[in-house]
Amino acid sequence: MTQLTEPRSAYRVVGTSPAHHDFVDKVKGSLHYAADWQLPGMLHGRVVRSPMPSARITGIDVTAARALPGVVAVLTAADVPSNQIVELASGGLAELQVTMPVLAEDRVRYMGEPVALVAAVTQQIAHEAAELVAVDYIELPGVFDVASARADGAPRVHEVGNTLVSWQIQCGDVAGALAAADVVVEGEYRSQHVEHAYLEPEAGVGWLENGVLTLRVSTQVIEHAAMIAHILGLPQSKVRVIAAYMGGGFGGKEDMTVEPFLALLVWHTRRPVRMIWDRQESLVASTKRHPFIMRYRTGADLDGTITAQQVEILGDAGAYPNLSPRVLFAAAACACGPYRVPNASITSTAVFTNNVPSSAFRGFGAMQVVLGYEAQLDLLAERLGLSRTELRERNFLAKGDLLPTGERLDTCVEVAETMHRAIGMLGEPPRPSGPGKLTGRGIGCNRHPYGRTIWFRDRASAWLSLQADGTLLIRSGVTDLGAGQAASLCQIAAEVLGAPLDDISIYIGDSALNPPAGGTFATRQLYMSGNAVLHAARELRERMAPVAADLLGWPADDLEFADGRVRAAGPAHRDAARGEVSITLAELAAACGKRAISTAHLSTWRAESGSFDPRTGQGDTFPDYTYGTHAADVEVDVETGQVTVLRYAACHDVGRAINPMRVQGQIQGGAMQGLGYALTEDMAIEDGYVQAALFANYLIPNAQDFPDVLVDIVESGEGKGPLGARGIGEPPIGNVAATIASAIHDAIGVRPDRLPMTPERVLALLDERDRSPRPGRASGSDRSPHPAHGSGVPT
Amino acid sequence: MNRQQITLSVNGRDHEVWIVPSDTVLDVLHDELGLADVRYGCGEGVCGTCTVLLDGEPVNGCLALAVQAAGHQVTTMRGLMGPGEALHPLQECFLRRGASQCGFCTPGMVLTSLDLVRRAITAGRARPTREEIRYALVGNLCRCTGYTKILDAIEEYADLAAQEKAAP
Amino acid sequence: MVAPAFQYVAAASYDEAVRLLAAGGDEAKILAGGQSLMPMLNLRLAHPELLIDINPADQRPPSVTGDAAGGLLRLPALTRHRVLLEHDLVRRGCPLLADAVRHVGNVRVRNRGTIGGSLAHADHTSEIGCCALATGAHVVARGPDGDRTVPVSELFAGYWTTTLASAEIITDVLIPVARPRQGWSFHEMVRRTSDFAIVAVAVLVDLAERTGELAAVRIALAGVGDRVVLADPSLNPASTADADLDAAAARIAERLEPSDDVHASGEYRRRLARVLTARALRQACARAAGAGS
Repeated sequence: MTQLTEPRSAYRVVGTSPAHHDFVDKVKGSLHYAADWQLPGMLHGRVVRSPMPSARITGIDVTAARALPGVVAVLTAADVPSNQIVELASGGLAELQVTMPVLAEDRVRYMGEPVALVAAVTQQIAHEAAELVAVDYIELPGVFDVASARADGAPRVHEVGNTLVSWQIQCGDVAGALAAADVVVEGEYRSQHVEHAYLEPEAGVGWLENGVLTLRVSTQVIEHAAMIAHILGLPQSKVRVIAAYMGGGFGGKEDMTVEPFLALLVWHTRRPVRMIWDRQESLVASTKRHPFIMRYRTGADLDGTITAQQVEILGDAGAYPNLSPRVLFAAAACACGPYRVPNASITSTAVFTNNVPSSAFRGFGAMQVVLGYEAQLDLLAERLGLSRTELRERNFLAKGDLLPTGERLDTCVEVAETMHRAIGMLGEPPRPSGPGKLTGRGIGCNRHPYGRTIWFRDRASAWLSLQADGTLLIRSGVTDLGAGQAASLCQIAAEVLGAPLDDISIYIGDSALNPPAGGTFATRQLYMSGNAVLHAARELRERMAPVAADLLGWPADDLEFADGRVRAAGPAHRDAARGEVSITLAELAAACGKRAISTAHLSTWRAESGSFDPRTGQGDTFPDYTYGTHAADVEVDVETGQVTVLRYAACHDVGRAINPMRVQGQIQGGAMQGLGYALTEDMAIEDGYVQAALFANYLIPNAQDFPDVLVDIVESGEGKGPLGARGIGEPPIGNVAATIASAIHDAIGVRPDRLPMTPERVLALLDERDRSPRPGRASGSDRSPHPAHGSGVPT
Repeated sequence: MNRQQITLSVNGRDHEVWIVPSDTVLDVLHDELGLADVRYGCGEGVCGTCTVLLDGEPVNGCLALAVQAAGHQVTTMRGLMGPGEALHPLQECFLRRGASQCGFCTPGMVLTSLDLVRRAITAGRARPTREEIRYALVGNLCRCTGYTKILDAIEEYADLAAQEKAAP
Repeated sequence: MVAPAFQYVAAASYDEAVRLLAAGGDEAKILAGGQSLMPMLNLRLAHPELLIDINPADQRPPSVTGDAAGGLLRLPALTRHRVLLEHDLVRRGCPLLADAVRHVGNVRVRNRGTIGGSLAHADHTSEIGCCALATGAHVVARGPDGDRTVPVSELFAGYWTTTLASAEIITDVLIPVARPRQGWSFHEMVRRTSDFAIVAVAVLVDLAERTGELAAVRIALAGVGDRVVLADPSLNPASTADADLDAAAARIAERLEPSDDVHASGEYRRRLARVLTARALRQACARAAGAGS
């Protein structure tokens, strides 16, 4: 079969940055998000939630609520046909099996846990009714941090115990290597609960249509339809989930949010129901990023070669499993970063607490650990008197190297290039702006996976149809969280089939109508659905090419599909006597129709598969990685501890930029989320109670907090996504905290090891420095005494 | 519940709506009039997704009572557009510059920055600097873009507007 | 998300508003800018039965009476924050306030929020409250028995509590106009630009006409207790020398007992108070010296 691949130098649509499809609707304000949907007779739904983190429920009295005029339904656990969600996120590879109820029955395990549901004719009445549901609680002792949860005799969040899963990855002889190392550096690093804080709160509308329970919701995963059917005791064919374009997701809409509650209220009332979570409700009760405690012991030779990494990761999973097993697995798989480590021992444990459940959030475990491994590198550099860049270059992975899991890297590793470019973008280091100010420069490199863990045998399907008028239809189960998931598929199809972008319509995220593509997470959609569309388009083109060849009298191998037409191309076409001969796509479709050749095509793309053995800690993890480096200049006010980011630069190897402007946007947006994570964001959960329960108190970056993120992109072309692309959705959030910590370290001489790096904490580090000043830097250091010069980060 | 009928002038059109006193401008615009470009984001006045212009000034739709808006001009982002959904030049800049990712903050960003540029130009000042634009947008939160492309789009528009004023 | 149901009435005058407020008792609240009240209602933290909208009651602009020696800047209670930021009379008559208002809220909040509303709300982190204290401002409060003038130093009584009677409404804020040989400075520390202040300090300094020595100092602090406070004058600096200014800042901070909250510990707030007070004092003295006739 002929391989009609696109010559790399001749991309027409891929590699450009058109603004099209949903972006036009967004700028027009005509896009309908999940809450922008109304049906006649629509009710308003509300969740009644536990006000305390750990308690027994001894009674629920709904009579007052039900009696309120305008209330149509008040539901409790007894009204849920199958009140059990069991999610074995790793496929049951190693975790405990734990049930999560849809509505709490006799016990609540976190503050905000759903206990009852209300549906009423107005939002006002729904609020009042929710306040009238009387629940009797008897408070129980709880555990609110991983140490307490693991202590002997600790109160059990679940009967089966407080350790949900513990992964291990081992290679070589870590104990021996550490004992023999010339230098060993230790550190303990802690990260905090953070919230996705998408501007669009969780929302959706549900209704019954021809006996099918239909939900139109802001969700990253339409495959939850199966779980919803199970909860209601319905056949899967009677549940349909439509994913509206999201106003942000970031992993916070990866587990079910409003879906089961809408489904129950719709099923019970037989009326349409809308539910929008309060922002404050979302802050308190929606899933969060896992706070990690990371303990590192790194051994190295005097020349800086890393010989050993011993890592212990403890993640606070909160009250229920959700995706914790996968998050802690990703952390383990990436705990050593983009560096060669011949002897490694990594344990990564998810622990139950009575805090709000932790689950997916952009970066998914692989991002928290960057703080740990980059801190270790910088501390090693300081100890050995090597520059930070030199030490990293000595240890960077390369294509063909083994990871601690025993996997061999089969794509190129351009992290060194990204490091030089990121530093280069910063230019000359700035001088302090006045007395009482210190400046510093920092870097942070990372290795971040894209694609699901290989043992999931991931696949995605896409369906394309060339219509009679030459326009193109794409159907994909992909969901779109605002990063061009849908639009990128159009660009790829446009590249292969030559249909103009304006002639392409894409229908996404409908479990009844679209071929399944899997959810939008794990930076997998470009890799999976991008490949699915690429292959579907190529296969369709291959099928139609002989028909076009016949019409044009030209070899099928030498046809060009572009600008809505098919024309003769190839080397022989330079013969001027041929002239410009082409047909429109509509003519091609018609000709195919006459020959009974279908112009519609479904293709399923399958990712590579493999397996992992949790007992040996060896096997296959992720299909590939995206490498990048960030660099930053900061100024620290030594009297207040405030940190001002003066300049910030980010460079990633994206393989191939399908839409360069969107790639930049992902990097800028991811870095900004990372800056919030590094410096200002904290749910501040104390004894199970969220302190930052107002949007005014949960501090996401605003337009004045940080400088523009300068971006450069490397296009190595060796990614496993379509046309050599690598995923870029998640990677840019990972480098930031490490980069800022590195810069503060450079400025004040002490390394922050706890997030967020608030002014108060930085001031405490300065106090610590003043109390016990280090006896000069490591010998042979090329650090100048002037703090502005930097510890070997080249200018 | 004491429902009353009021007339709201929205995007140049009068609408008669039934409200209760506690209904906010956001409630009425979004739920009664079906305007999708005014959105609930926080209810606290800090996020900006409910931004509307009230007599030309950006206000929090979630903190203004509908009854207070009766007799005043309410403008949403879609009210800036021309016939046939023709984009306002500021919207075109947003589109061209990739200033919209999930799009949820876009209407608030557009209205607030338009107000800023208009006032600067009307007052005969040079167009706002990037720093002044940042300051004006402090109450319009964005979680997707990192703000850079939004600032780029607004600066591009501000230059266009300044040029037009200079050479009408 | 949705406010509890209430009745609404628009008051055409302050007198009408006072009557309605007196009749409504605890169940009635004044709606001015709404930027503090409405969030509380949206979060269902307050359940008033009646909202009295006083926006129609007052259209007066800021004005100044008297001469430079004893001039008074009169700000009607419904003066929007944006006007404080931009109005010429405010920028010249009370540059401290015009500067501090930059830190209040955001564009939308400043378009609606009012100075009277801010002072009546009595937030312990309020920049406006801080400036009102530092300038020795007064409020005019109208009640069923008529008007009375209250120094702002006697206005704040605790977290979100004033000494106003339940049926009293602020109608005017009176601020002594900035004098020659007067210097001012506003400093605040926020975790994120435009947030509620962690600690804010407003300083007004008067130098003696002839000698240029320190004649009067008023130092107001926000975020350091249950209300905005004026530093005890006995702690004020003895001179404009840096050492005296720093010593005063240290004394003042030492006396404070701020509480912990989600954004900062009390101890950190005390340290900030010292740092910001010192910085504000230096800047105010420098401005006063440079503002010679």
